[in-house]
Amino acid sequence: MANTTVSLFIQCLVDSMFPEVGEAMVTLFDRLGIPCRFPPDQTCCGQPAFNSGYRREAADAARHFIAVFEDAEVIVCPSGSCVHMVRHAYPLLFADEPAMLARAEAVAARTFELSQYLVDQLGLVEVGASYHGTVTYHDSCHLSRGLGVIDQPRQLLKGVEGLTLIEMRDSDTCCGFGGTFSVNYPEISTAMVDTKIDNILASGAGAVVGCDISCLMNILGRLSRRGEPVQVLHLAQVLAGAGQGGGQ
Amino acid sequence: MNSEEKFFATVRTALGQAADGERPAKLFPQLFASPDPRPALARIAARGPAELAELAETLLAAATENRITTYQVSSLAEAEAVVVELVRQTDPEFSHTRHLLCHDHPDIAGLRLWQRFSRESVAVHTSFSQDQQLREKTIAACIGITAPEIAIAETATLVEISGPGRPRSTSLVPSIHVALLRSEKLVADLEEAYALLGQRQQLDSFVFVTGPSKTADIEATLVHGAHGPCELHIILLSEPTLPGDTAHSAQPAESAKQREDTPESTAPPEAG
Amino acid sequence: MNRPSQSNYTREAIKGIASTTLQTNLRSFQERLGQGAMRMWVELADPEKRRRVKASRMRTLDHLDIILASLAEKVRARGGRVYFAETAQDASDYILAVARKNQVKRVVKGKSMTSIEIGVDPVLEAAGIEVVETDLGEYIVQLAGEPPSHIIAPCIHLDRRQIGRLFADQLGIDYSEDPPTLTRAARHALREKLLSAEMGLTGCNLACAETGQISLVSNEGNIRMATTMPPVHVAVMGMERVVATMAEHRETLQLLTRGAVLQKISTYVSFVGGPADTPGETREFHLVIVDNGRSKILADPEFREVLACIRCGACLNICPVYGKIGGHAYASAYCGPIGAVVSPLLEGINKHADLCKGETLCGACKEVCPVENDLPRMLSALRHKLAYGSDQWDTRQMNPAEAFAFRLWRHLVTRPALYRAGLRLAALLQRPFIGKNRMISRMVGPAAGWTDSRDLPPIARQSFAARWRQKHPPTPDVAKKTAENSGEEKV
Repeated sequence: MANTTVSLFIQCLVDSMFPEVGEAMVTLFDRLGIPCRFPPDQTCCGQPAFNSGYRREAADAARHFIAVFEDAEVIVCPSGSCVHMVRHAYPLLFADEPAMLARAEAVAARTFELSQYLVDQLGLVEVGASYHGTVTYHDSCHLSRGLGVIDQPRQLLKGVEGLTLIEMRDSDTCCGFGGTFSVNYPEISTAMVDTKIDNILASGAGAVVGCDISCLMNILGRLSRRGEPVQVLHLAQVLAGAGQGGGQ
Repeated sequence: MNSEEKFFATVRTALGQAADGERPAKLFPQLFASPDPRPALARIAARGPAELAELAETLLAAATENRITTYQVSSLAEAEAVVVELVRQTDPEFSHTRHLLCHDHPDIAGLRLWQRFSRESVAVHTSFSQDQQLREKTIAACIGITAPEIAIAETATLVEISGPGRPRSTSLVPSIHVALLRSEKLVADLEEAYALLGQRQQLDSFVFVTGPSKTADIEATLVHGAHGPCELHIILLSEPTLPGDTAHSAQPAESAKQREDTPESTAPPEAG
Repeated sequence: MNRPSQSNYTREAIKGIASTTLQTNLRSFQERLGQGAMRMWVELADPEKRRRVKASRMRTLDHLDIILASLAEKVRARGGRVYFAETAQDASDYILAVARKNQVKRVVKGKSMTSIEIGVDPVLEAAGIEVVETDLGEYIVQLAGEPPSHIIAPCIHLDRRQIGRLFADQLGIDYSEDPPTLTRAARHALREKLLSAEMGLTGCNLACAETGQISLVSNEGNIRMATTMPPVHVAVMGMERVVATMAEHRETLQLLTRGAVLQKISTYVSFVGGPADTPGETREFHLVIVDNGRSKILADPEFREVLACIRCGACLNICPVYGKIGGHAYASAYCGPIGAVVSPLLEGINKHADLCKGETLCGACKEVCPVENDLPRMLSALRHKLAYGSDQWDTRQMNPAEAFAFRLWRHLVTRPALYRAGLRLAALLQRPFIGKNRMISRMVGPAAGWTDSRDLPPIARQSFAARWRQKHPPTPDVAKKTAENSGEEKV
């Protein structure tokens, strides 16, 4: 299994705004000796359109995604919500197209979120990372409730040398991102992320770690505006050993 | 087509059926099929004194959680003493005189409350269904006494089944509800209670009562005594078993027989 | 934050967020009940129960004509009357006719969302009939002249001081902020109403076709009063609030009280289906079964599931959006996640477009729902109707500009080269906005929604794709494969 070539499915936000997260994933795979490739024609899984109701546009994005990744042995993504999209929305989009549905389901079955792949597929919980400091973990909605991935990231974090995981209160409560929701209903979204941030601060951890850059971008954006010094890290960055530590 | 037929036509169309294609219930017996109640009924019937004592313990514990005051007695005489003490302590909430309202039930009649209070200013009424003043008496009452036919041990829930002589309002309108409960009436859980209810030919109106009325609408602060009784007292009567007794016989237990001082009639005159 | 096009939803949401009372009460309510329910389902001794009840709810819906006919037959056999109301107007007219026939001057109500949905109160009041809510929370909001803001805690947005002042003003009692004192004042004031009313008007938690009874769940006893003491009792129910058998009733009830308040059973569960046996108690029973748009929901396989809802309110107790904005923003008889799905379906998708769009689809409501209703899926389906319009749902496209934007987006994401070029262009265009902290703190147009309260990380100078290409120049083999893939695209 460890020799299986991983096709990197780099969420569009990671690709464009947080490329270092993608690089951290590559660093990690290199260290673990997992061969990987990056299908260069990938764009976006279609989630923004789907969540806004634009299913025709989402379906076209999905067709593109399936064409790009169809020949992949295994597809790994640093985002729970994108994997959720592929696994749970694609079959819905092609419910009336048996041929596409079969292709979508075949791709969906080979698509994994990073921590899910490492722990469930490869049986890895120690990946040789070190991080000196305390972190708290934010459960993103589509990863925890949608895909049932709750323990895997925690197991990986606990396997990081020098890292102390402090659970925050209501770690699985939505951060208020919700895609276009965050722009269309900013007052509600901000009230929600404020609660999330209060819980992060109350945990006393030096950094918040998550598996979805969209939530992390929301948390980071508000932390930055509030002038709070807590670091925001994607799990891949911690596992790559690329994090700088909370200095605690 | 009248409005009811039109309503059903719309529903049928929504379900992809022909609008006029009435589907008779008897063609869909599986819709109304229920799990076999016999295992539950057999469980209830097989309970001996030891098991009933266990259920009693469960009920007493659950009662405490639900702010129910409980008393364990082994005879109607003891039950009577409990009621008398309670009545003497009670300040009527809605009238000047203390009115008691009792369901028409042999066990309650067996308490002979009208005799006990004949020299006190306590009015004891029985809820005979032909009594045209019953509503006024109910509204004036500070205590309503019932003898429930079923009680659920797990949650300390009384099943009050109404019918002639057993109005719905007796356990509701007076400030205090007292239930005289024979331990043979205990079942373990809701499932057993439903099994017993299912045995009745025509289900009367009935109510599950678990504790005194309560509300938490003001800042989630729990307050007992909303629009129903402020207090619920369960007097749990466990008499020494007689041979041939079975739990949950079809008829209410004829307990009065076991007392020497049996009242002459189950229709006592009203005092006060 | 005062954007020009603030909707009612946003305005009410902002009010809710600004109310410290609401925030404090909702937080403690959600912590206790919502999270409690989540834990309770995990620990449920019989984990199949939720699936069984869901299956029985769906089976009932699939055979609703049969089960309703059976219910009506049994209620009539008990001496009750049954009226099937196609619309809200029909239902209100019938109730008013019953009131008039019985010379009703005062109606006491048990908490009923369906009665709010059909708007019967104003109809009765217009006919000179006094309508009194008797659930304490409903009574309080009625005195305050406000709508309820939670299914089971209608006055959760008010604190004890506000209620104390309200009672002092309206009931003429001395000011108090002691909940037992206030409760006693309401108990005495409402007892008069409950005992003198000529009609009780309640909802119905669950009707049972097998026995021809409705059942009502309450803790306060007001519903028992309203169904017992007035000479006439009218119960109004949405046509889906029915189970076939007592066995189904039992399991559904168990989920209802657990979902609502974590109770194994509530203080009172009463079963009535006809006149009482005792003189001086209810002598006339009417059951009004309401369609009012439900058959349309029933007809649509995408939404039929929402009729399986047992109205426990658990989704309100977990929803992080409701937890911030409270019930008034929903502007409907039904609030919270269930309201966000059912209100648009009953009253119009365009009318309630904000309810369809104003959630994060976090999925907590689905997880806490006793019958595991997939509300996020249905919200997504509602958005689908808004995206393109729907004749079936009499819905027009909500936002042609947004629709155009997504068509453009499709054009980009299905053409990798164009997509990459677009990203590079966006990276250039954003430059003037990037601040010293390497963050964008002010944008214009819709994007200001983000930057009004949050910073935005900029688009990286070099995307991951570009960085990868630099490190891994394409080999002829990979290049060929990529070309093949591109050739397969359907755009």
